[in-house]
Amino acid sequence: MYGVPWSLLITLLGGAALTGAACGLLGTFVVRLRLSSLGFTMSHAAFAGAALGLATGVEPLALALLGAIATAAVLGPIAERAKLPADVITGVLFPFTMALGLIFLYLAPGTAMSSSALGLLWGSLLAMTHADLIRLAGLTGASVLIVGLFFKEFQALLFDRKLAEESGIPTRPFYYLILFLTGVTIALALRLVGGLLVFVLLQSPAATAFQFFYDLKKIFFWAALLGVLYASVGLALSFMFDLPVGSAIVLISTLGFGLAVWRSPKRHRA
Amino acid sequence: MATPVIELQNVSTIYEGERVPAIHEIELSIDPGEFVAIIGPNGAGKTTLLETINGLLPYTRGRVWVLGRDIARFGPQLRSEIGYVPQEFQFDETVPVLVKDVVLMGRYGRIGLLRWPTAEDCARAHEALELLGLAELAERPIGKLSGGQQQKVLLARALAKNPKILLLDEPFSHLDFAARDEVAELIARWHRERALTTLIVLHDLEAIPPSCHRVVLLDEGRVRQDGMRERVVQAFALSYRK
Repeated sequence: MYGVPWSLLITLLGGAALTGAACGLLGTFVVRLRLSSLGFTMSHAAFAGAALGLATGVEPLALALLGAIATAAVLGPIAERAKLPADVITGVLFPFTMALGLIFLYLAPGTAMSSSALGLLWGSLLAMTHADLIRLAGLTGASVLIVGLFFKEFQALLFDRKLAEESGIPTRPFYYLILFLTGVTIALALRLVGGLLVFVLLQSPAATAFQFFYDLKKIFFWAALLGVLYASVGLALSFMFDLPVGSAIVLISTLGFGLAVWRSPKRHRA
Repeated sequence: MATPVIELQNVSTIYEGERVPAIHEIELSIDPGEFVAIIGPNGAGKTTLLETINGLLPYTRGRVWVLGRDIARFGPQLRSEIGYVPQEFQFDETVPVLVKDVVLMGRYGRIGLLRWPTAEDCARAHEALELLGLAELAERPIGKLSGGQQQKVLLARALAKNPKILLLDEPFSHLDFAARDEVAELIARWHRERALTTLIVLHDLEAIPPSCHRVVLLDEGRVRQDGMRERVVQAFALSYRK
């Protein structure tokens, strides 16, 4: 198909599907807990980390993970206690992490806008490897397992954190578990979608599912499924029209969300 | 003499970023099965007192003992035994939770980690919904209900726990008169039949249930009066007139 070997095609499709599923699942938390600003900053910190990897010759994925998780560790407590409004966190840290990423790309050996550098920004089909596929499968499997095992605790947390505490659930460990998994998801999704756009895949599938359901189990399921759908269709568009894969996924995600808002039964009177 | 179910020794609670304690050097002891009303003007510290008792707010001085244990050390375990209806709540229409789930969630702390709600948990939740006349709304999203209905759902949630202590913060604030009488009667019946230790925060003195004989008057974060209902209510009314 399009001259691409089947083994690579399967890796790409599998990678896209798993990235979409993990983003959709974790995105449910991001949307409901209003962690958008935190996720946005984490995605750019992951981008800055990966760019630093390119500049220094250290594995970009390792530094992307470090960037995203360090951001979660620093900003998590701030967001948790709401000492700073979300837009202030984003306003200050988004340009900072973006500037760091661009400086590291500038310092990277070779041409500043080499294919690996552009891949970090916009996502790249060729960057996806078999090892990435295994990591993504591990992350998605672990996320499904964790959500399944602690569903009632997460349900209570997503309903109302204070009431969850009141019913005897210690919410803090679960809150930080969500941040950690989100950081890892962002770092692993970076290869496919790119640092500038990964956050959209984290937001759109879940935001779309929220337009249709009140049952959290259904929202988790459909957010993951829509993530798979958006990522796969975006990948196909990228092949067909030779578009950057991240941009193609974002276009489809945004279109899907727009349609969902338009057709949402929650927005129509019976 | 019975061991107190709730005991506060010289307790102060200061909110983060504040210098003045919201409650100050509180001494309070509640015996098993007592029904106590906490009254006082706005900003007296009534909500702070309830949230200090159930450990949602960490106290900064003194000690709070609930069911014989320190709430600061055993918060989650103790909160699973305490039913609490908060004064402030707001569930918008997008909240992805059904009424029946909100009530069942009251029991999640008791159920514990890595365990799923049993048929008995679901039966308790359903029973609580029926008690409050909400069974028909069980499948509706909580955010679609009126403020009064949401408040009743939170009361059902507290009762579904089968709690040893019931803390109610202005539980009639969103209810109309008919619903208020009905809920007041239900609270009184639970207290009477189950010897349930109950603390109720009210700003409307008329709303104090008849079976509530002890009243604590809070003002500026301090206990000003603590005793028989008639005496404390009279003292409060007099101080307000001044």
